[in-house]
Amino acid sequence: MSTLVEENNEKRNQLNKENKKIYEDMMVYIRLSFNKSDQETEEVLMELLDHLLVLQAEGGDSSELFGSDPRQYAEDIVGELPHTVPKEMMALFVMGICYFLGVYMLSTGLIRKILLYGFQQMEPTKLYSLGTTAIIIILGSITISVVGYSVFRYIKWSCFRDISKIKEFLATGFIFGIVPGTVFFAMYFWLPPMGPMLTVPVYWLGITGAVFLLVAEILRRKD
Amino acid sequence: MNERSQLLKGILEGCILAIISRETVYGYELAVKLQQQGIDVKEGSIYPLLLRLQKEKLIHGEMKASGSGPNRKYYTLTPAGEASLKAFRENWKALKQPVDQLLDEEDS
Repeated sequence: MSTLVEENNEKRNQLNKENKKIYEDMMVYIRLSFNKSDQETEEVLMELLDHLLVLQAEGGDSSELFGSDPRQYAEDIVGELPHTVPKEMMALFVMGICYFLGVYMLSTGLIRKILLYGFQQMEPTKLYSLGTTAIIIILGSITISVVGYSVFRYIKWSCFRDISKIKEFLATGFIFGIVPGTVFFAMYFWLPPMGPMLTVPVYWLGITGAVFLLVAEILRRKD
Repeated sequence: MNERSQLLKGILEGCILAIISRETVYGYELAVKLQQQGIDVKEGSIYPLLLRLQKEKLIHGEMKASGSGPNRKYYTLTPAGEASLKAFRENWKALKQPVDQLLDEEDS
């Protein structure tokens, strides 16, 4: 699988500027149809790339391959790709959650550790109220899912379009940075402590985070 | 040529099966062979069809190293594909003559 992706990355450099732009839009659009089988997706992308390279060598135009409406063509391809098995989807989802929790806990643990030893700022334990933590994790996961889905939709929408980089930067920064950031800040500061309290030593955060990352990594390797 | 038309898609699928039944081909080769037969379709239109034929298990695609060149996906007919081609051939034969006749009558 990954060898196909690598081969694609290498070969793609042989395309000229225009062909590369349209091919990469095609590639991103098709790859982002995320409930599709990876293997089949990469195989058809390789076929299209090989075909486009031959056309380019013969002095042909990419429209001979993708037609006058490349977005419609990408849709046609996606429409015929087989679905992935739900089991793989589930593994991917669990992997995402594990990465998120792993990075979050490991970095929180590390930062607190550094603050503790470097600046004598923090306490060696962190007090969690279980109710509030549960709400933060649930709302946080929902926010991240919504933002993640929006990123997918946005990138797909932006394929085969010319968008000014500045506008794109402002729009994406607002939607994908400020909005979720505000949600997390609001939860962090305004949610009152609820439910039973639990004292966790800081280094446990780090260790748990590392375990989550390890699980995520194993799931990724297995793929 | 209107590529959206279901009728044309069906006929093109039949032609693709016929070519693959004769020899194992990869995508670009197939496009060239269709053109050599005078079947002038957008080259890209074969790829969605190849995907569908694979999904219906009428053809089987396999990535293979091609001698010196790159990995290519070669297509062969499955037994179900053979049967489908046979059915297409019979349907086509049964339709071809009456349709020709009908259209000729209208022309004159």
